This record gives sequence, C-alpha cells and structure tokens, in this order.
Amino acid sequence: MTVRFAFDVAAGLAILFACVMVVHRHPVKSVLALVVSFFALAVTFVLLSAPLIAAIQVIVYAGAILVLFLFVLMLLNVPAEVRQTPGRPIHHTLSAGAIVAFAAALLAAFRSYGATAAPPAPAASDPADLAPLAKLLFSDHLLSFEALSILLLAALVGAFALARREGGP
Amino acid sequence: MTPNGIPLSDVLLASGALFSIGLAGALLRRNAISIFLALELMMNAANLAILGYASALHSLEGQIVVFFVIAIAAAEAAVGLAIFVALFRHTETIDVNKINLLKW
Repeated sequence: MTVRFAFDVAAGLAILFACVMVVHRHPVKSVLALVVSFFALAVTFVLLSAPLIAAIQVIVYAGAILVLFLFVLMLLNVPAEVRQTPGRPIHHTLSAGAIVAFAAALLAAFRSYGATAAPPAPAASDPADLAPLAKLLFSDHLLSFEALSILLLAALVGAFALARREGGP
Repeated sequence: MTPNGIPLSDVLLASGALFSIGLAGALLRRNAISIFLALELMMNAANLAILGYASALHSLEGQIVVFFVIAIAAAEAAVGLAIFVALFRHTETIDVNKINLLKW
C-alpha cells in the first residue's frame, strides 16, 4: 500500500497548496502556490499510470500557462486585494454556506461511485509504453487532433488581435 | 481500485476537494486573474477524476481526453489573458467589481 500512501501525500500537498492559492490576496503568490499544486498533481498522474500526461502537465501547465499568467501579472502590476471596509456579512455567510453544501454534495456523490466501479478485463500493459496511446491518438482521434491545431492557431490570432494596440501597425 | 493499488474513492475525494477549493476561489476573489487561476484549478480537478477512472477501467481514452483538455486550456489562457490586457488598457483595473459597464 506504499503507492496509495504516496498518492495520498501528493494529493494532500496539491489540496494544501490549492488552499494557499485561494486564501492569498496577492496574485503573484497565488500563481506560485498553484505551480506547487500542479507539480503535486503531476505526481498523482504518474501514480495513476499516465506518465505522458504528467510530463505535459509539468511542461505545458506549470511551465507555459502559469508563466504566461505570471508574465501578465508583472506586466499589469496587479496589486494585492484590499479587504472591503463595509463588509457584507450576509453575502459571506451565504457564499460560504453554498460552497460547503456544494462540496458536501460532490463528495457524497463521489463516495458512492468510487465503491461500486467494478474492474473489467485487465489489459495488463506497461504504462510507460506510449505506442498504444499514440496509435489511438493518431487513428481514432486524428480528426480531433487536427481540429485542435486549428483551434490553437485561431487562439493565437485572436490573442494577437485582442491585445494589439488599436490604431497601431 | 486502480492497478497500482490506489482506491478510486481516494482519487475522487481529492478531485472533489480540489474542485470545491477552485469554486470557492472563483467566487471569493475579486481580481480577474485570480478567478482565472481558480478556473484552471477546477479544470485540473476534473482531469484528476478522468485519469482516475481511466486507470481503474484500464482505458487509454481517458488520457486522450485529458490531453485535449490541457491543449484547450492553453488556448483559453492565451485568449483570456489577451482579453485582460485589452480590458486593463481601457479601464486601468481588472477588479471585477469595478468592471460594471454591462451591469444594468
């Protein structure tokens, strides 16, 4: 059960740093906490026998996307949030209650699911062997893959058009 | 139970906890970029649940879905941050309480 222990430690770290991310008022510290959380999540992905996704998580998510966030934060010089002086206790109570109720409902639903998922015929393949994954990606899901490349191109052009200074070159 | 001996309930509990934390962040923060970060966290919680089920059901399709989710998240982050930069240029703030042009 050491794998289970390692998974629980990594998931606990991810949850801990996600909490740090949410409670910090300064956005740069939030991003840095989220980087740690995503690294811990990558560990859980490895333990769930998805090493390719773990590598993509580290390279693309923690490496590229969060660095883009950090870049924009530095560019805009976003200040830390200040506590609202009047305070709205009813809003706070209601939103805290809604979040707790949502979390309880989600966890209750997941608990009842996790117990009953019966394992079908085991495929018994080596998770480090990427050939079956690549075969699946480039045969059954080839159309989605190509559509994704067009989506990324569209996002690139759209981001350029949005962030461009108006009236500029 | 996944092949590595991790019970599916552990994976789903972690995923649900991360999703709830992300939801709380999206509701509590007032800075648009912090809200966006919380959305990324919620997407990762969903990825964790998908990978847990893929591992327990011995399926590779789950990894393909997560691959697409990560690629779409990259596109979304690029467009969203470009919107924030354009917004900041117009209004000099990204506090969502102060951006109320379309609020009746």
